[in-house]
Amino acid sequence: MSETDKYYIERCLDGHPDDFRYLVRRYQAVLLAHLAGKFGNKDSAEEAAQESLVRAYFNMNKLKRPGAFFSWLLGISDRVAKEQQRKQQVRRQREAIRSYSEETPSPELSQDYALEAAIAELPDAYRRVVLLRYYGGYSCSQVAEQFEMPLGTVTKNLSRAYLMLRKLLEQQKQEEIYEVQK
Amino acid sequence: MNCAECKELLVAYVEGLLDESQEKTVSEHVKDCKGCQLEVEQSTNLRNRLVKNGKALSESHLEDKVLNRIIREQNVRLKAGAKVGLGLRLRRIIMEGRITRLAAAAVLVVAVLIGIHSLTGGTVTFAQVIEPILKARTVVYDFIIGEESNPVIMHEIVVGTRIRRTISNLPGMTQILDMENGKMLVLDAEGKTASYVDIKGQLQEMTKSYIGFVRKVLMELKDSPNVKELGEREIDGQKAIGFSGRGRNEEVSIWADPKTAVPIRVELRLGQLVVVLKNFKFDEPINDSQISMDVPEGYTLEEKVIDFTKGTEEDFIESLRVWAEVLLDGKFPEAIGTENYMKQIPLIGEKLAQSGLSKDEAAKLGMTLPRGMFFLQLLEIDEKYHYAGKGVKLGDADKAIFWYQPKGSENYRVIYGDLSVKEVSEENLPK
Repeated sequence: MSETDKYYIERCLDGHPDDFRYLVRRYQAVLLAHLAGKFGNKDSAEEAAQESLVRAYFNMNKLKRPGAFFSWLLGISDRVAKEQQRKQQVRRQREAIRSYSEETPSPELSQDYALEAAIAELPDAYRRVVLLRYYGGYSCSQVAEQFEMPLGTVTKNLSRAYLMLRKLLEQQKQEEIYEVQK
Repeated sequence: MNCAECKELLVAYVEGLLDESQEKTVSEHVKDCKGCQLEVEQSTNLRNRLVKNGKALSESHLEDKVLNRIIREQNVRLKAGAKVGLGLRLRRIIMEGRITRLAAAAVLVVAVLIGIHSLTGGTVTFAQVIEPILKARTVVYDFIIGEESNPVIMHEIVVGTRIRRTISNLPGMTQILDMENGKMLVLDAEGKTASYVDIKGQLQEMTKSYIGFVRKVLMELKDSPNVKELGEREIDGQKAIGFSGRGRNEEVSIWADPKTAVPIRVELRLGQLVVVLKNFKFDEPINDSQISMDVPEGYTLEEKVIDFTKGTEEDFIESLRVWAEVLLDGKFPEAIGTENYMKQIPLIGEKLAQSGLSKDEAAKLGMTLPRGMFFLQLLEIDEKYHYAGKGVKLGDADKAIFWYQPKGSENYRVIYGDLSVKEVSEENLPK
């Protein structure tokens, strides 16, 4: 997979922006899942994902190892998310001052927000494996290749991720029930 | 297989990564173990959920949005790049050389003409010392605008309506002016080129004959009651007697040898412009070829491209832009005015000396500064202006850098750092 990343990255650097399309296609879900958990709302996540991809495109020449595109992209998206969250916070504070009681329509949650929020809470090493496996369309052995680790380590990480996710999702469910009862 | 062993392989099991025998073992254990069965169920559910969500998100259509944004952004960058490119181009243009150098020098004509012109309203009078100027067939002197500590000196030879001028910080450049016909011949000894410059229109109106004009002024001064004696003073180691007179907007002092009455020094204060004439020589023998309007032998005539007949606010704004963008890397000069402009000439010349652009472009750009300066010189003498561009960057729309009151207008015109102009009443002027 990273071999083809490399090919498209080089195409982009050679001045074929249209070939960036393939990289967007490959990594959009990864980014969206990663960001949706952080934002909890679909529009913000999409906006941040777009911004991350655009930044990645214009900074491609700074990417030292084309094989590391995925990790590099996640790094960019983390920075973008932080910036946007700060902006949103400021905006919310302003709005709070302006209209105390006015009800703002709640933003549209992404389709499986609970899952994405749980992924966002995973430790970095586990989250990356989950993202790449289920959102990047990598097979487990491709994930192993990407991160240069034995397949056994991938499944081990994935097992831990599963356990944590199940736990997190269970917790969320409990909280929801509690909210309803209240 | 016990439950712990089973749990260990659970994810590999639901991911389908186990080999046949391992898979069989797990399946068999799960069949008989309710707890592990539940585990498998939950893991499979989670896996399905992940796969489903992954698939859903993969079907997002970020592609077009991202690519559109990239294209938009790229266009913006290209435009910014083009702007930088334009800056570089301007830099190259101004470096072009001769024509621009000629044009840079040309503004000095204006300085001289306006200076003399303003004397018409003068009421100063002055007796014997004017004799030599009135009667001399030729007058030679040095002409300095502004501070004398670090002066740009124009050396002028005046014969009738012809002037031959050299400028201290433009070595190799000579201007020959034919005031009668509103023409200037500029010679560049370095490149052996010659060029004609039109100084018709407003400029020529002002004064048809240079020395004739000086003489006319002096005649007027002769019997004026407004002349003050300044007493004696030493000038350049020479004893001198002084007279001064004040007009509406100008102040003139003339110093002369008390014994021979030969003028030594003339100081003109014209609004914001200060001019000094000194090192006079009268009736020096001048060879006709020195004031000939013909292109000297060995020189090539450049196409006549310089038009110097007007200077508008627009020209002035353009000259501010060029001054900031080309000469000072995006900052407005600390001070403007004829004196400061003259001090910039070597810098322009320096930049010109190296490049190679089309002559038309170079000439156009070369005209920008002098034309703008012409406009400014009119303000220096007639109206007051205020300059506040020191430290301001080109493009700064919040800072007023220049304002003046046009003749006959109640309001002021204010120019901002982004070179926009607003009409503003006096009480709303920047502080």
